[in-house]
Amino acid sequence: MYDMKPLEEKWKKYKYKKMRPIYIGVVFLCIIIILLFSVSDFRSINEYVNKFYGIISVKKKIESSELVNKVLLNHALYEIERSDTLEHKNTNILNKSSELLVDIPILDVNDVKITNIQENSVPTKISLDIVETSSISAYEDVEKRFAQSHDIDDALFLAKSYFKLAKYNKAMYWSYEVNKLDNNIEESILVFAQSKVYLGKKNEGLSILESYIGKSNSQKAKLILERIQNDDLH
Amino acid sequence: MKSRYEAAKNVFIDSIDIDDYIELHSSMTAFQQLQHSMEKPLKMILLFGRPGTGKSILLNRIQEKLKHQKEIHYFDTPAASEKEFFQKLFKVLTKKDLPSNTEVNFSSLIDFCKNLRGKREIVILLDEAQMYDAEMMEKIRLLSDTRSVKFVVSLHKTEDEDLIAKEHFKSRIWEVIELKNATKEDQTAYVHKKLLKKNLFEIANSIKAKDMKLIYRFTKGNYRECNKLMFTIFEISEYYDKNEPSKISYAHITQKIIEMAALKLGYINV
Repeated sequence: MYDMKPLEEKWKKYKYKKMRPIYIGVVFLCIIIILLFSVSDFRSINEYVNKFYGIISVKKKIESSELVNKVLLNHALYEIERSDTLEHKNTNILNKSSELLVDIPILDVNDVKITNIQENSVPTKISLDIVETSSISAYEDVEKRFAQSHDIDDALFLAKSYFKLAKYNKAMYWSYEVNKLDNNIEESILVFAQSKVYLGKKNEGLSILESYIGKSNSQKAKLILERIQNDDLH
Repeated sequence: MKSRYEAAKNVFIDSIDIDDYIELHSSMTAFQQLQHSMEKPLKMILLFGRPGTGKSILLNRIQEKLKHQKEIHYFDTPAASEKEFFQKLFKVLTKKDLPSNTEVNFSSLIDFCKNLRGKREIVILLDEAQMYDAEMMEKIRLLSDTRSVKFVVSLHKTEDEDLIAKEHFKSRIWEVIELKNATKEDQTAYVHKKLLKKNLFEIANSIKAKDMKLIYRFTKGNYRECNKLMFTIFEISEYYDKNEPSKISYAHITQKIIEMAALKLGYINV
């Protein structure tokens, strides 16, 4: 009978030797798997981080755009408020300046009746888009808008503007457009009369003013009449 | 208490006992081939194969099978000397014992054999013939030339001796029968048939195909090596059965025990 203990020990050594390549293979395989997982995890972490930062940057962009919008909105609101204030002030000015009653004797329209401006409510809407500008294109824009809206304020603005620019034919034309819509607007009658004078039609200008003064007893019209008569209009 | 593995162990004690002969496909083929060659008017037949391929048991088997039909004699172990060999041969041929202090005259023996031609046909099965020297083999050839004595020479085939043996016998041999190692299927059948022959059914059933695969790997289909390994396996099993039964499975032979046996026999090393 054999002594089994040494044989068993020998067998254990043999088994270990036999299994060693398998153990090494398994360990090697495990290392490869771990490395592969690590690389894939690293990528996924990177992707996650990128996504995370992507979300943050998008959030920041959204927040910043919201901020810009807020600023713009506040600015716009401020502008509106400012515009409203200006509108209110202008309305007051207009109300104050429309205390005169003027009859405008227009050449083509003899029966122009000047009524009391105070009785006929003055349109409250005033275009504030262009209050004072020297740009020709700006006037053209207003002219185009008037062609669509027939807003009396636009026409009056054009009349006064062209008068200031010494474009008296155009000033007469837009004064006439105002008068067609409302024949009691003193400013348009005065612009029309003075433009006639500047264009060498002094008598026609005087006639219009006298007619208007007769209806409205406007002090401003009387003053201008006196200046025209004295050739002191400039 | 007697272990069940003791009987199994004894089944695989290497022997050339005819009772231990197992009918396998390969051995049946070799048997028929040898029997057919012996019918031919050949003077010498070479039974050739590696040790443990079943040459000796085949010679035994054929002697047992044909002893009533032919004058057939089996010389199992080589004679220690030429004198001893010819004394043995003289006894077979003359059926008389030679006095111990006398020597056989070879020329007289040749003449005797020539006189036997046509009267008797004697077959000598000469096992382990690689043990005989060239001079002895030459004398055997001369005896076979008398046509009254036919020699079946069994020869080991080893890596180094292979070519030498063939070269030595090629001019003298008329037919060569080569025995090869068993296939895995043959070896499995061999192990199971051996155990079943001794009614060890449970143990035979406990040797699974996987176990036989391992056994075949260690023994390479060699019957003698297989016997040695199986003997050692059952000896180790017997030890565990008697001393540490927890280490043994009765349902099958464990790989550990097969490997331990292989280590013991030097088939594998640490």
